[in-house]
Amino acid sequence: MSKVITLKAFFEEARAGRLTGIRCGRCGELAIPPKEFCPACHERAWEPVPLVGHGAIASFTVIRIPPRGRAADSPYAVALVRLDEGVSLLGRIVDIPLDALKVGLPVRFRPLLQQDQTVVGFGPA
Amino acid sequence: MRRVAVIGVGVTKFGKHERTCAELFAEAAADAIQDAGVSPRTIQAIYFGNVVGGEGERQLHMGPQAGSVLGLPAVPTTRFETACATSHSAFRHAVMEVGAGISDVVLVGGAERVLNLPTDVATEYFAFASDAVFEQSTGITFPGVFALIARAHMTKHGTTEEQMAHVAVKNHRHGALNPKAQFQKEITIEDVLASAKVADPLKLYDCCPFTDGAAALVVAAVDVARKSRNPIWVLSSAAASDSMCLHDKKDLSRALATERAAQAAYRQAGRGPEDVDVVELHDCFTIAEIVATEGLGFFEPGTGGIAAEKGWTSLGGKLPVNPSGGLKAKGHPIGATGAAQIAEIVTQLRGEADPRQVDGARVGLAHTLGGNAATVLVSLFGSE
Repeated sequence: MSKVITLKAFFEEARAGRLTGIRCGRCGELAIPPKEFCPACHERAWEPVPLVGHGAIASFTVIRIPPRGRAADSPYAVALVRLDEGVSLLGRIVDIPLDALKVGLPVRFRPLLQQDQTVVGFGPA
Repeated sequence: MRRVAVIGVGVTKFGKHERTCAELFAEAAADAIQDAGVSPRTIQAIYFGNVVGGEGERQLHMGPQAGSVLGLPAVPTTRFETACATSHSAFRHAVMEVGAGISDVVLVGGAERVLNLPTDVATEYFAFASDAVFEQSTGITFPGVFALIARAHMTKHGTTEEQMAHVAVKNHRHGALNPKAQFQKEITIEDVLASAKVADPLKLYDCCPFTDGAAALVVAAVDVARKSRNPIWVLSSAAASDSMCLHDKKDLSRALATERAAQAAYRQAGRGPEDVDVVELHDCFTIAEIVATEGLGFFEPGTGGIAAEKGWTSLGGKLPVNPSGGLKAKGHPIGATGAAQIAEIVTQLRGEADPRQVDGARVGLAHTLGGNAATVLVSLFGSE
């Protein structure tokens, strides 16, 4: 029986500082929820697994022409982070100088709160 | 499947317009119908593409609106949306409807209008095509998404900012030969490298502009096409998808959906990349052209930047890419782009693209990419 981690549950846990992945009970594929079938083997047997929240920058950018409502934050960095367990997450970079960013830099997950929304952030490891 | 051809094309001037999407589409559509030499009453369906009309014009249900302005209010319409691949998706479905024998003549295309909006608002609306919860929440923009792809490609293959600049310079050189292009102005490598940063490492001249415009095509079955003045045959039309979220993609330096769609399109057509004479591909950002030329099988992975630098993709080079000026210089009205690319391929294969004609072009390829490279369409065309 597959355990579905909803987006709401993922972000409620994230708000408390905990990242949750899902692992396929058949083939062992690790993924970020929500998903119903395993994209690798098409089984429906997910089990939630905690992710420690530590990883390294796989790619990053500095946004200098922001969308509406974010001018006060600009410029800001967004990175795709490869977590130690092997899955990736996109997040806003905080508390790391823009000129210190580089591919491979170790970072640690940190929840960011924007109004009522929890946003994935990464700060210094 | 019956053989299917494009028998008429119409494209508005790309740039800023004071008219609505429906008006712009109707102009392109009327031009396409007249170019096809058929009566408007032969149109049996309208496949219409638009992306941000709900936000930008407070207008949904644009299909029948466009049909009404065109003067064909009774023709059934369907609206398509696959982000920037929208009207190429509409085209593929039109080809299937005609190929399956349901209709003999279908009008397909799209329109977009965003220059009535402030830049930060248009940037916000375009970002709606990335994942709302995981991606938009971080403040990522579309230049930001392709900046992540660019840095991944630079890290893996050593691609340089100068190589990306060569794509922009080449497409502006081509665009200067296209009277419909938004920018008809040549630029230099130095202009690109000195332009303002948008999303590092991408600079202003690495990015296509916001654009208003429309494009339309008349798609017809073999019996109708044989009676038209210069039909261009659809050899194949294929679609592919990839994971929506960047975090689910296995390798940011590749566009898997491009590779999948290309393989399907080549297989359906019984052709390969070596058979292609002219290409219109999705250069929303300079890095996107480099990744696409690799994914379409024209150059080995990691060598797309070298190909641009050496001029292989220029008019007069071994494989001219984006003779229209591409999205970069011709402009990118997102709901119209796929149809406009196909219109350029048809014009090239008809031999009517002077002064940007690719000499002797007989097989052409159009490639259109939507969103975070999550939707890709590839179609092949032949003059016989």
